[in-house]
Amino acid sequence: MLLLKLAFLNIGRNPRRSIITVLAVGVGLAALIFLWGFSDGTNEQMRENVIRLLTGHVQIHAPGYQNSLSPELTLQNREGLIQKLTALPNLVAFSERVKCEALIGTSEKSRGVILSGIDPEREIKVTDLKKYIKAGEFLTNDANREIVIGDRLAKKVDLKVGDKAVVMTQAMDGTLSGFSYYIKGIFHTGSQTLDEVSAYISLNSAQELLALDHETHEIVIRLARRKAIPAFLKELKTSLPSGAYDVSTWDEIVPEVEQWAKWSEAIIRTILFAVMIVIGVSIMNTVLMSVFERTRELGVMMAIGTSPGRVIRLILLETFILELFGIALGLVLGYLVTIYFAHAGIAFPELERAFSRSYMSTVTYTRVEPVHVIQSIITLFVLTSFIGLYPAWKAGRMEPIKAIYRS
Amino acid sequence: MGEGNTNLKMTLIKTERATKIFKEDSEPVFALSSVSIQIEAGEFTALSGPSGSGKTTLLNLIGCLDRPSEGKIYFDGNEVSKLSQHQLTEFRLRKIGFIFQDYNLIPAFTAIENIEYVLWLQGTGAAERRKKAVEVCDRFGIKKLINRRPFEMSRGQQQRVAVARAIVHKPKIVLGDELTANLDHKTGTELMEFLKELNREENITFLYATHDPAVLKQANRIITLEDGKLTGEKVGANVSL
Repeated sequence: MLLLKLAFLNIGRNPRRSIITVLAVGVGLAALIFLWGFSDGTNEQMRENVIRLLTGHVQIHAPGYQNSLSPELTLQNREGLIQKLTALPNLVAFSERVKCEALIGTSEKSRGVILSGIDPEREIKVTDLKKYIKAGEFLTNDANREIVIGDRLAKKVDLKVGDKAVVMTQAMDGTLSGFSYYIKGIFHTGSQTLDEVSAYISLNSAQELLALDHETHEIVIRLARRKAIPAFLKELKTSLPSGAYDVSTWDEIVPEVEQWAKWSEAIIRTILFAVMIVIGVSIMNTVLMSVFERTRELGVMMAIGTSPGRVIRLILLETFILELFGIALGLVLGYLVTIYFAHAGIAFPELERAFSRSYMSTVTYTRVEPVHVIQSIITLFVLTSFIGLYPAWKAGRMEPIKAIYRS
Repeated sequence: MGEGNTNLKMTLIKTERATKIFKEDSEPVFALSSVSIQIEAGEFTALSGPSGSGKTTLLNLIGCLDRPSEGKIYFDGNEVSKLSQHQLTEFRLRKIGFIFQDYNLIPAFTAIENIEYVLWLQGTGAAERRKKAVEVCDRFGIKKLINRRPFEMSRGQQQRVAVARAIVHKPKIVLGDELTANLDHKTGTELMEFLKELNREENITFLYATHDPAVLKQANRIITLEDGKLTGEKVGANVSL
């Protein structure tokens, strides 16, 4: 305890230097926590954007459908499948879809789209598309010959709410099928994929367009949270006949999101390492200066019987104390700043165009991931302690006579 | 055991042809050259000589702060010349007290914590440490300085606290190097008189290096060195042989 007390007192002997060192550690760690928070927040938003707007957590298709998008590949034994699904735990909601490539246009302009026939009441429990309606209304279950499109598509084809557009596609029987639809609503999600290429009609309308008899191509499933996916998949695969369906998770459908997340984490880790080296060198410099200034004092201590091991422990204790204060400061500062921006968000309105090609939002909400905070703290502590070994070792190796009589 | 060994039993310190060679620019420098002396328990002995005569070197060898290049050092019947660093540290802790010219005290500690420090190194419990330290402060008349830090004391007061620390663990010998060099004449004289009193009343052995004639006068025995060699010895009226 006396050694610990001495370590504290020694740190207090040069308060300015100690405070600067603690600030260097604290601000460095706070910056790292915020950086992680920004990256984690961005990645999390991307994941949730994909899940909430596009894919749900899990999707079920007929074997081979994902690769070909062939309209003939509908889900077999649909009712039996739905019965099994509804019995599974963790299921929050599901929705069926009919999908095809189609052409939408007026007499003057037309564009290719991915047309989805949806059950509106079920769909709004699985995706958040309804929240992004900016003009008109979303589809309802009694919708007939009504269509909802993205704002970029509406602009390209020069359509507005209430206008009529023709949608044409190839039906199941190979014939060309086309109907007129009224623009019920226009949405804006910020994602180019959705706003420029996607259009939605009711399930009944789509089955009529494609000459499908109560058949669907896709079941989209929403769970309570992403962490529930593995357990849900296990249950699902047990209950389904082997090979009858293709089950895909959201990250298998849109793999680029996780790839982006891994890349950004690798960048953060590189920055983290560099920042920690700088912090470690700062601590080492402070402790080395402190040892150098106390050469004679340490020499006298060793002369009167303080072992080299005790001297090393003393210097290490001083290093640890500075680190711990710095870490505590960094933790509080980093947490407060990250939590603030988790609520307030950081806006990048000028980057909407760039973000539209990914699934990033123009307002990023930071996020505290405990595992990343803990990793940062442990790595910082271990690295800086390792770097701090050098001044401690140097102090322990001092020869008392040379230290005492140093001129 | 023979007559030589009987001498060892009465003798606290014995050096046999102690030599210390330093290498400067590949040239050997004999800081100490074949010095043989004996220090008996209870002595109040001064090492005298001009600067560079080897006083401090001899003190360092006797104090187990360094090892001789040649020759042997016996301390309380043990040959210390070949002990490891760890053993020397332990020896110093248990058997020797040190008073240096400067930087005696740990600046972060109060006077009493400085005195307790050696007892703590020895593993003495907190209550016992405090009791012994207070006793010594009382004996030395420095009780009012107990909670002061070194920068809050005069040099003379600091040296008194350093002496208290040097003797609190009842060492076999107290070694001092230029104890009064940074003190004014009056304070220096008071300090030496105080040490003499300790020597008389508590039979503490003192060996100190100095080139100050006024401080030399206090010694019961003076060993003179020059250019690393023993050149003479004077025994005063008060020495106990």
